[in-house]
Amino acid sequence: MKMTREKLGALEVRVWSGGSGAPLLYLHGFEQHPGDASFLNRLARHREVRAPEHPGFGESTALEENYDVIDVALHYRRLIESWRSAPVDVVGHSLGGMFAAELAAISPHLVRKLVLVDAYGLWLDDHPLPDPFALSPRDLERAKWCDPAKAPTPEPSAFEANGNAEALAIFRAQNLGTATKFMWPIPDRGLSRRLPYVKAPTLIVHGEADGLIPTGYADAFARSISEARVAIIRNAGHLPMVEAEDQFLAAVDQFLS
Amino acid sequence: MKFHWFAEVTYPHLPPDFRERYRSAWVTPPAHLIDPVKVGETYRMFIRLMQIADQVGFDGLTVNEHHQTVIAMTPSPNLLAASLATSTKNAAITIVGNSLALYNPPTRIAEEYAYIDCLSGGRLAAGFVLGTPMDSVFAYGMPPIEVRARFEEARQLILRAWSEPEPFIFNGKYNKLRYVNIWPRPIQKRIPIWVPGGGGSIETWDLVNQHDYCYGHLSFSGLYSSKPLVDAFWEYIDKKGGNLNPHRMAFTQIICLANTEAEAEKNYYEAVRYFHRNSAPGNFGNPPGYTTIRSLKASANQVSIGRNKLTPEDRIRASRGEMSFWEYDDKGYIIAGPPQRVRQRLRELITDLRIGQLIATPHMGNLAEEIAAENTRMFGYEVAPYLRDLWADQPDYWTPEASQKLVAANAPTARTDAGSRSTPSFEAKQAGK
Repeated sequence: MKMTREKLGALEVRVWSGGSGAPLLYLHGFEQHPGDASFLNRLARHREVRAPEHPGFGESTALEENYDVIDVALHYRRLIESWRSAPVDVVGHSLGGMFAAELAAISPHLVRKLVLVDAYGLWLDDHPLPDPFALSPRDLERAKWCDPAKAPTPEPSAFEANGNAEALAIFRAQNLGTATKFMWPIPDRGLSRRLPYVKAPTLIVHGEADGLIPTGYADAFARSISEARVAIIRNAGHLPMVEAEDQFLAAVDQFLS
Repeated sequence: MKFHWFAEVTYPHLPPDFRERYRSAWVTPPAHLIDPVKVGETYRMFIRLMQIADQVGFDGLTVNEHHQTVIAMTPSPNLLAASLATSTKNAAITIVGNSLALYNPPTRIAEEYAYIDCLSGGRLAAGFVLGTPMDSVFAYGMPPIEVRARFEEARQLILRAWSEPEPFIFNGKYNKLRYVNIWPRPIQKRIPIWVPGGGGSIETWDLVNQHDYCYGHLSFSGLYSSKPLVDAFWEYIDKKGGNLNPHRMAFTQIICLANTEAEAEKNYYEAVRYFHRNSAPGNFGNPPGYTTIRSLKASANQVSIGRNKLTPEDRIRASRGEMSFWEYDDKGYIIAGPPQRVRQRLRELITDLRIGQLIATPHMGNLAEEIAAENTRMFGYEVAPYLRDLWADQPDYWTPEASQKLVAANAPTARTDAGSRSTPSFEAKQAGK
């Protein structure tokens, strides 16, 4: 994947892109952009993949201060329009899943197929989610991974810090701070009202052992979207594309082809 | 030089294993540990202590806002301030402060502050704070990344609400108000504004510099912990060509006065340990987004500067209650002993940090009322008068004019010999007024 910086409206966006073929937009999760991750490269073998870094994360400039999730969805509408390949497939992970679903709800004509991976955006009173911002680092690891002992170290998405602990701490503070805009104190910004507007066929991919978002949420997404099915990935937590890359890609490839 | 009385209104009857069992003294401590009847007794004790402080010449009575914590049970400091406004006569009421981002609409703060200023005869110093992360973002659910922008908008709204003579429209990003016209208005035409911090946010430094507010470094870890940040503040203000008047800097310091060092240790050690052991923020102290990246980068540098005097291990031991009494003193967490020693150490602290508003803390943890009362009296009679010469050449625009005049007319003065208290009849005279 090639990393570039692009102007989009008033913002500068850092984008990883690669491959050729059917267009696919990948929206990353609440912790950080996965960078030049293996699963993105493999997705790009038969597709043109673009994976922007969200506004306010890493080196992408931030939106104006009192923006909300609809402004982010409109930002991605603009990105797809600038691509001139619409409709595109959209894969959104975690917080990126919330953005992808909002985008598909308000711009159905731009989204061919939608994949939501361990997505935030819904809240079930009977299944309250843990607060990812108040977990100790150790508890966060346990919640994130199916098997923390086998978690990749360093995490492939920690590319930014280059082994420098202080730089990594600042990178994370920047990203997670921005994520609080949509996830604090409860990651519910009204998506449940808008999910019925999603027209795209949707695959809900969910790590079986996701300790941040239990699988009940996958079913809740599926119930609200007219054409949706669920694929549970075994031996994976919140990041199935890292922890069970082959299974993840098989499910996504099969759905998109 | 001004002296303010302050203490966190701490619940004094926690079980001895509170720290080990409950991990955090903030946000999630179980409410069943607290007996509301004893909370009421504690509130009344603090009012009595501050009445004594008012009688023995303190310049200000300081209250603050915290939520969902055993260490400071003052969710609305304005309620305590209102009690003090009618039960005290001289001292300023320094509220440090209200958490501006948490009130909807923030005109509520403009109204309550105006009420307290009216009720106290113009003795209010109005604090504007962001609130700790535990308060603002965990207990009150504000996304950390929004706190500062909401604070700033609320600040502008409150200042206009106090000063605009006619009803006005306020179309903010977070507050949309068609008819702003608060009643009552404050007595003071220019209410002194305090914007205390403690984390060393450069954004706060810019704000106090731009508007010439009183800054404050409010911590309970003393000189060595604070010096890098306070020095960095003054350097920053100097570089920007700002006002270097020491009266625009407040600082908290726990004080443990007694006739002898042995008596100080006997009277205060348990309370000092109780206070430090039971104030841990658990995982709620440092959420992402609360501190800006710019300030994070700056403070990483400042913290490392202070390490030779106070190591990270020292901080951990202090917070666990594992230091000896005199280690707490040596490391700056407390200033303890007979008046002469306390005077000397405070003089060094005040001069070293360039502080014009010392927020003395004569009560801490589960200290008994009579010891806190005697601590307060000793400070008023035997410490404060001997430090009044500090910064006497510099005007103080950050304490209300009304209280400055009243305290100047009534406070004890320094003795010229080494005899007993300077004006022993002062307290009785005040009480009888």
